[in-house]
Amino acid sequence: MLATPLPDAEEIRDNATFDAVLGALSRPGTLRDLPEPGPLCIALALLDRECRVHAGDETLSARIAATGAALVPAHEADHVFMAADSAEALAVIAGLDTGSHLYPDEGATLIVPARIGAGQALQLTGPGIKSVERICLDGIHPGFWALRARLCAYPRGIEVLIHDGARLLALPRSTQVTEV
Amino acid sequence: MSLSDLTGRWKAFSYGFLDASAKRELRRKMIKAVAVPGCQMPYASREVPIARGWGTGGLQVTLTLVKPSSTVKVIDQGADDSVNAASIRRFLSRVSGAAETWDTLDATLIQSRHRIPEEKLTRDQILILQVPNPEPLRGVEPNMSTARQMHADADYGRMWLQLYEQMVRSGRVMLGASYPAMVNGRHVMTPSPIPRWDVKKLHMAEHLTILSAGREKRIFAVPPYTRVEPLVFDDVPYKVEDHAHLTCARSGVTGYFMNEIPQEDGSAGYEVSDSHFGIKAIDARDGGTPTVGQTWYRNGELA
Repeated sequence: MLATPLPDAEEIRDNATFDAVLGALSRPGTLRDLPEPGPLCIALALLDRECRVHAGDETLSARIAATGAALVPAHEADHVFMAADSAEALAVIAGLDTGSHLYPDEGATLIVPARIGAGQALQLTGPGIKSVERICLDGIHPGFWALRARLCAYPRGIEVLIHDGARLLALPRSTQVTEV
Repeated sequence: MSLSDLTGRWKAFSYGFLDASAKRELRRKMIKAVAVPGCQMPYASREVPIARGWGTGGLQVTLTLVKPSSTVKVIDQGADDSVNAASIRRFLSRVSGAAETWDTLDATLIQSRHRIPEEKLTRDQILILQVPNPEPLRGVEPNMSTARQMHADADYGRMWLQLYEQMVRSGRVMLGASYPAMVNGRHVMTPSPIPRWDVKKLHMAEHLTILSAGREKRIFAVPPYTRVEPLVFDDVPYKVEDHAHLTCARSGVTGYFMNEIPQEDGSAGYEVSDSHFGIKAIDARDGGTPTVGQTWYRNGELA
């Protein structure tokens, strides 16, 4: 008779991280708590040798490389960790893989930092939202929302995970975002 | 980089049976499945210690989500006590330390074969449906690549034609379970072989549903508050099973989905399909005070 295995620290962190990610994605606009601040826990819960990743930050890049994921330019990556706060950043994001109508799952996941609760007010509608959800985000370039709408030609598109310290919110491609 | 850098410390057993890389792959695919509701996402589908076709898809999802504080309920055609459901539930608790339950209200993860419980699921619960055949187009298009192209083009004409032909030949749609449904206005999915009675429970639900086919290696999802509309013609309304007037012979409840039990004399008896819902009704009749949740249907009508 096997003893029930206990989760180790990594398993607990990865499980809690994915709980937050799945919760945030299935209810766009609602805030979830990551087990630790920053995007690293998201990377560790999702990435391994099967992934192609681009990370703007060098320290994060090195940690991601240690998972075995290939570091590639953003337009070849399935997971992209970068800020979306400048016109240059938007130029990079414009080139992200949005998958195809045959394989929408090949669209990239973009993980960006932002300040949640301040700045640009946004109105969200779509699956996962009962009527309308309102959020405020700061630290994201004003051109990002038009760019996202262009990339998300449903069912093609990208998922955006937004982290602010240990807080997470997510915008799947199915969400319509209106600036208000 | 060396192999030893990439592998974790040696363990006799991975927590939750699946190894970390299997879980990561499932997580990545679940993200995409939730982002494009109803669209079938391919995944690797690892080996688990039950045979393909017995709930391996659902099991892999549950094993990825489970943690020691989870409470799991597993049902097979509504019953918690069937061999398949009991085995999966015991396996889950053995490899994860999660609590087991029969009560829908107590569960955080509900893995189900072909039914959705009668008591409404809440936002804190996740329903995991085992799917034998995830491709709604299989009956009209045997070629998987062509079917994928048809989904890409939202080319569902042949689905409609199939429904039309059934009406012409039989006077009604001859689909008992797996009634095709349009999700988020874009992808037609088969809601696993849940009865027509249950398809309506997915429409604008409070809970997240993940559907996973282990043998066919596809995963798809219905997030909360997502439109799930059965394919129907404007002039022929969608009909759920005619169970509204049936009464369960054991628990006495009326107006829920029933199992038909053939009798010695050739007639039919009925038992409520959601077995623990029936148990609660029997308990209440015998003077107990079970907590019964709000149900989707009341007096046989969707509330």
